[in-house]
Amino acid sequence: MSQENTPVIELRHVNKHFGSLHVLKDISLQVKKGEVVVIIGPSGSGKSTLCRTINRLETIDSGDILIDGVKIPEEGKELASLRSQIGMVFQSFNLFAHMTILDNMTLAPVDVLKIKRKEAREEAMRLLERVGVADQAHKVPAQLSGGQQQRAAIARALAMHPKAMLFDEPTSALDPEMIGEVLNVMSELAADGMTMLIVTHEMNFARRVADRVIFMDGGVIVEEADPETFFSSPKTERAKLFLNSITAH
Amino acid sequence: MSISALLSQYGDRYLQALFTTWKLTAFSFLGAFLIGILVTVLRVCPVKPLRSFGDFYVQIFRNIPGAALLILLVYALPYLKVLFPYDVCVLIATTLIPSAFCSEHLMSGINTIGVGQIEAARALGLTFFQMIRRVIIPQALRSTVLPMTNLMVATMLTTSLASQVPMRPMELTGIVSYINTRSAGGVAAFAISAVLYCATGLVIGFAGALIDRKVRILR
Repeated sequence: MSQENTPVIELRHVNKHFGSLHVLKDISLQVKKGEVVVIIGPSGSGKSTLCRTINRLETIDSGDILIDGVKIPEEGKELASLRSQIGMVFQSFNLFAHMTILDNMTLAPVDVLKIKRKEAREEAMRLLERVGVADQAHKVPAQLSGGQQQRAAIARALAMHPKAMLFDEPTSALDPEMIGEVLNVMSELAADGMTMLIVTHEMNFARRVADRVIFMDGGVIVEEADPETFFSSPKTERAKLFLNSITAH
Repeated sequence: MSISALLSQYGDRYLQALFTTWKLTAFSFLGAFLIGILVTVLRVCPVKPLRSFGDFYVQIFRNIPGAALLILLVYALPYLKVLFPYDVCVLIATTLIPSAFCSEHLMSGINTIGVGQIEAARALGLTFFQMIRRVIIPQALRSTVLPMTNLMVATMLTTSLASQVPMRPMELTGIVSYINTRSAGGVAAFAISAVLYCATGLVIGFAGALIDRKVRILR
């Protein structure tokens, strides 16, 4: 059903308020199949909220969000099923604390996709191998480093064979020496053609991996360009200020 | 009467009473545990009336004195043409009250689960019941072993309510009244029951600590 020109993720005139705060102001956005879109912007700009509305971890007040051309359902089994098609990676990893890494990996494939346990385990081990934490499969999350946990969390999302992956500041909670290992996994995913929407503060990564950079501030998309153009010659004053403020130190 | 005299005359009755207390405790706690889980699921479910019902249930049974509930069951229900045997009345009272506390413990256990894990479960496409069964209840249970141990001891002590109605066979508190109306057992008759309560409580506490060490979640 996904035709070549149907965007995998599409937002049309999305608005959201937190109380009196208008956090998303008429956001429209498309992410095509295989595209890597990076959202940057100062904190409080609405970029995380935007990311979270796509699988309805945040509700919206108006507008439409479509996955593969289909409007996301408001609740119930249909919503759960849609969520299972979109991978999500969080800032704080959010692995299930009472399960081993391997059980974290197989829970949703077995319970949601109804894949046989044995197959799910084999697939899980392949994915853990791919992100480099296969030797940690039988430990619980608290026994892993932050970087290992985040790589396992990425593998957990991949185990659902998602149409697209959302990354909500995946390296913001990591010690500096572990950021690289997570970004490498993400770069490989991008190179493999995964459709990705990434909220991040890692500018070098954005420059290297993104097909398109979106700069948000105050709940609006201020600027949108390919990374080379955006980082070398930003058009808007706000983007210039932002880029200066993060490279100044 | 001395303790040894009491034991030689009423030893087998004490033993029977001890088993009765154990049985009441086990059934009540098991019932309270299952109802507690059910009520807790209602209290976190997406349907508002069910959540309200769960909260209401807990408020009622957390705040009603056990003796009052038992009196209602034994002496008021028959007016509504509902007549339970004494032991069933006792069992209902000693199940419902701990079930409210069980739910409160589980709610605090749920609060130890980060909201992030719930979001991760939702993002993976788990339905509410899958999330409850695989993520929420297992973690809530594993992080509340010690409070549940206390609850089991409290449930055991609550079963002494049975001494207020003519339940047969008698449990550890009822047996004391029985003996003291027949012989001058005095404080010694109480002391024997007290020791048996204490010993049981210690065993429960020890088992609880053991289980806690085994299942506690590393965070």
